[in-house]
Amino acid sequence: MDLKGNIKNILVYLLVLLAQIFLLRDLGIGGKAFLFLYTYIVIKAPIFTNRNLLVFLSFLAGWLVDWFYDTHGLHAFSLVLIAYLRPLIFKMLTPANGYDERSKVSLREMTWLWYLPYVSIMLFIHHSVLFILEAFDPSLLGLSLLKIFLSTLLGLVTFLLIELFSTE
Amino acid sequence: MYQLLQFLIRQRGFFLFIVLELISIGAVFTYNNYQHAFYFNTSNSFAANLLSQVEKIKTYHNLLEVNEVLSQENARLQNELFQLRNKQNAPSELPYFASQAVLRQYQLSAAKIIVQSTHASQNYLTIDKGFRDGIRPGMAVISSTGIVGKVISCTENLSLVISVLNTINSVSGKIKKNGELGFVKWSGWQPEVVDFMDVSKYKKVSKGDTIVTSDYNSVFPRDIPIGVVAKLGIKDDGNFHDIKVLLFTKFNTLQYVYVVKNTLISQQQKLEEAIPKSE
Repeated sequence: MDLKGNIKNILVYLLVLLAQIFLLRDLGIGGKAFLFLYTYIVIKAPIFTNRNLLVFLSFLAGWLVDWFYDTHGLHAFSLVLIAYLRPLIFKMLTPANGYDERSKVSLREMTWLWYLPYVSIMLFIHHSVLFILEAFDPSLLGLSLLKIFLSTLLGLVTFLLIELFSTE
Repeated sequence: MYQLLQFLIRQRGFFLFIVLELISIGAVFTYNNYQHAFYFNTSNSFAANLLSQVEKIKTYHNLLEVNEVLSQENARLQNELFQLRNKQNAPSELPYFASQAVLRQYQLSAAKIIVQSTHASQNYLTIDKGFRDGIRPGMAVISSTGIVGKVISCTENLSLVISVLNTINSVSGKIKKNGELGFVKWSGWQPEVVDFMDVSKYKKVSKGDTIVTSDYNSVFPRDIPIGVVAKLGIKDDGNFHDIKVLLFTKFNTLQYVYVVKNTLISQQQKLEEAIPKSE
């Protein structure tokens, strides 16, 4: 990844964080489906990003979101988890011809059959940990599961829209 | 020892992961069990500050709507005020009870100003309520701070109001302190100042006195604030005070007004027509 691409990525990540903190924070569809756009940072990171770097960055990003959400550590925990598990999911979903050095996480370079399961699994893990930890109450499990399911769906749709409208 | 170190280095990714997760989950369990009051520390008040700034921008977009609601509420409160005022008449020796009709004599409805001038010599306002809203020519128009004018004509949805800032419009008033009567008339310039005429120079007036509408006014309810005496002098003819009154209503920034419906006006007029005219 060249310097220009790196700077562009960093700007996009900052934008995503700002959007999450200032726009999406108070937004929820019916109080059930929430959009956690900041997972973009981990989900869309180039495939061969250094894992430790990504884990560390996702910790910072999650902590920042926590700061504004008044949820100490919740988002950091969930985001670090999916950042760490990402290579495993890559391995699970390896396409027939493998990944190459320049591969990006995008519909254009990958197939639907790769992109959809990848994003779904990532979002699902993140949301599961987030909502269950947040509720931290077995009696709220049903509601949490509903939130996880609906939020994952919302996230999936959003990521597909991003793919459809991205110019790269 | 060396092997342990090597192991740690080899597995540094995993350890980084574990350490960060422990920090996060530690924070979750340290802080989130306490209620919000506890972790509203300095760092979070910074975040809260930023968020409240964003909130301010968001509320700005609602201001129009909020204004509307507030002005309606004001109209309702003013209504109640009039009722109470009518109930609380001057203390009398005789037992006095105001009838329900008198108590409800004045009803207000809020209206928004669509067009207004303050710099012409004859100023008018157009408001967004008309016949359909029960507005009729002759009704008084006031603001939350003082008098504004009188409705002179209505269409289905709009009304034209002759402003106090109009040389052909005069309003009967009195000095609140001692009840000295006079009338308010605009001299044709300065949208903040009107003249208070017809007060004999032998009557006591001082700077800072409040002028309100008088009791003998077929348009305005009594005791609506008009302004304060800002400048005193004697008229050229030597018989009357020359009183300049600073208006309470700020015409330059006026946006909402209240139209006062006098429900007894027709009865009052009928009675006054019956007064035998002295030929």
